[in-house]
Amino acid sequence: MKLRGRHVIMSLVLFVFGFLVAYSYQYTKQHAQVVQMSEQEWEKDFFYRQQLIQLEEKNRELQDRVDSYRKDINHLEKEFGNEKEKIREYVEQKKKLQMITGELPIQGSGVKISLKDADYIPSEENANQYMVHDRHVQLVINELYSAGAKAIAINGERIFKNSFINCVGPVITIDGNHYPAPFVIEAIGDIQTLRTSLELTNGVVDILVNENIEVKMENIDRVQMDAKIS
Amino acid sequence: MWLPAIFLIIGISLGLLTDFTVPDQYSQYLSIAVLAALDTLFGGIRAHLDQTFDQKIFLSGFFFNIGLAVLLAFLGVKLGIDLYLAAVFAFGVRLFQNIAIIRRHLFQKRKSKK
Repeated sequence: MKLRGRHVIMSLVLFVFGFLVAYSYQYTKQHAQVVQMSEQEWEKDFFYRQQLIQLEEKNRELQDRVDSYRKDINHLEKEFGNEKEKIREYVEQKKKLQMITGELPIQGSGVKISLKDADYIPSEENANQYMVHDRHVQLVINELYSAGAKAIAINGERIFKNSFINCVGPVITIDGNHYPAPFVIEAIGDIQTLRTSLELTNGVVDILVNENIEVKMENIDRVQMDAKIS
Repeated sequence: MWLPAIFLIIGISLGLLTDFTVPDQYSQYLSIAVLAALDTLFGGIRAHLDQTFDQKIFLSGFFFNIGLAVLLAFLGVKLGIDLYLAAVFAFGVRLFQNIAIIRRHLFQKRKSKK
């Protein structure tokens, strides 16, 4: 019994002792990494550290540059965006102008004016005074243009800035093409303005009527005029 | 006879397997506790050879010495004095004395056998 007790105590003590020793051994193995460095190693370490610092400095500089470039790019992109907008506007404007000058087909609402020779010509009068002449057509066209017409066509022939209208006997020549009466003048533009300007007192319509021409005017919702064939 | 050896092995393996780590400032306590344990162990062997071995004294001495050593180290750390050196010194001297006495006993045993 006594021997057993002694053994138990020895076991306990040895258990604690073994635990302590093993634990401290393991602990020092984990932590005892006191780095012993020779002079050379110190120098090397110092050198590498210096290099690292230099690299980091350089990195920072480059990063700064990248940042500034990014800013520039952003700026340029914004500018490009603005320019795009501008170009779009310009293109729009150019299209409009092309439509007006006749380089592009145009369509829209407008008015239609028919000029017709008088049906009844008193025998004692000169027939010439009862006919539509080129000056009548030109009068109408000029009035329409000054009223802001975008495009004008006579009997389907579009008038351009260099078109010419001639009176050749009973027909009218537009750019070399002959057209007989009645003459249908179509104009694209603001209907209200065009009509009002034509129907002024002592205006174009009055003049034409006074010169014995039958004038018929109507609104058209949609008319298409082709581009100039060049 | 096998029981202490088995427990020693268990203790060692447990110490190796434990994963918890002690903060750096407590590593001093650990070393001093190991020293105290070692001292008490050899003291016990010496007492056994002197035939003055007492379980109670041995057991209480073992834990009390470890506790005292740790306390001294703790005080030293708190006061900024290397008090644990006293423990190290005392235990070291005792350790050598005990080992010397054990050696002498062993020689005497061998002589008497002859």
